[in-house]
Amino acid sequence: MAGFHAHHPPEDCLNCEHRHLRMFCNLTPEALQEYDGIGIMMSHARGAKLFTEGDPARNVFVICFGQVKISSTSRDGKTMILKIAGPGDLMGLSAVLANVPHEVTAEAIEPCQVKTVRKQEFLDFLSHHGIASMHAAQALSGEYLTVFHDAKRLALSGSAAGRLARLLLDWGRSAANGKPEIRFTMALTHEEIANMAGTSRETVTRLLNQFRRDQWIVIRGSSMTIIKPDQLERLTA
Amino acid sequence: MQSERKPEVGEAAPRPLAELLACPSPAADLLNASAQSVEFTSGETVFRQGATCRGLYVVASGQLQRRADRLQARVVLGSIHAGELVELAAALGNGQHTYTLVAQSPGSLMMLPMDSLHRAFDMYPPLRMHLLEELAREVSRAYVSCCATRKAGMRRRTTKMSVTESTAI
Repeated sequence: MAGFHAHHPPEDCLNCEHRHLRMFCNLTPEALQEYDGIGIMMSHARGAKLFTEGDPARNVFVICFGQVKISSTSRDGKTMILKIAGPGDLMGLSAVLANVPHEVTAEAIEPCQVKTVRKQEFLDFLSHHGIASMHAAQALSGEYLTVFHDAKRLALSGSAAGRLARLLLDWGRSAANGKPEIRFTMALTHEEIANMAGTSRETVTRLLNQFRRDQWIVIRGSSMTIIKPDQLERLTA
Repeated sequence: MQSERKPEVGEAAPRPLAELLACPSPAADLLNASAQSVEFTSGETVFRQGATCRGLYVVASGQLQRRADRLQARVVLGSIHAGELVELAAALGNGQHTYTLVAQSPGSLMMLPMDSLHRAFDMYPPLRMHLLEELAREVSRAYVSCCATRKAGMRRRTTKMSVTESTAI
């Protein structure tokens, strides 16, 4: 999860100051010129659904800023959160390329700016620019890893504390983007974190309080800073 | 006129290998000439998760198992059989293996080395798109499978909690 917020939301891709930090958007000048000309920039309010599981995949979405919850719902109405997508992440790519309906639901958990590109426009863009298709492959490879990672997180961490610690470290490191301070915006409720960590809401609240008392993390409003990543890392072992 | 049938979630079936790797003569000749055979015996680790990917593999014979390892724990991600592509994600993505591949029976793989694959992409760009689409189908199937597994787990946990609660009462 990337809790990084652009103070000045980019109005176009050519003048985006964050482009070099984003895997997909970091294109050659020729590819960037064409990329800038396709799709539209859209703002979404918190709670807005970008697409729903089972919908025909008509667009690919690139998050410019903000966070989006990727989830799936069972027939009996239980929702399972797979990941929190952040700036630079592509959504709907696998469904568009595989020509199947969306496998998941994407919902903004804070105000977002998203570049929305029509399916055919995106496919044409990929076929014109090798670098774009290579970046798309890397994005898909990342999605593939996320799915496996999710299975691993639930299956390989024996304790609820370990699974929660792994989630916090993943989100923190993703948001830190190599910077020493591991700080991110926690836009999920304890119930939603519990869903991702495969535990109960009560356990998440108790463990976060415990981590805070032990001074491993600091929580200020919706901002969380990981002070002692090594201690959290030990829990995941 | 017959209307086009709407595809359903989880219907992203893999395409035949011959269709995926089909390309005109210069690129096809390059891939054929550079293909290497990798023999394996039962129990042998073909590659490890996180290691550098040498190329795109196709199972020629035998059966292998995909495993995700972390410390002493292991998750089996499924088996791979003859005719299946192995590690599209690594070959097209960041070049690192996404899982560990272990042989369950003796057999062999055909490996298309990474540099030949990239040269073939330059000669015939649709080849990359075909493989990209196949990777997307693989990701789509992984999503469906992961969601089904987790939903089953959620049901088990709910059932277990109910039993515990009723016992406690």
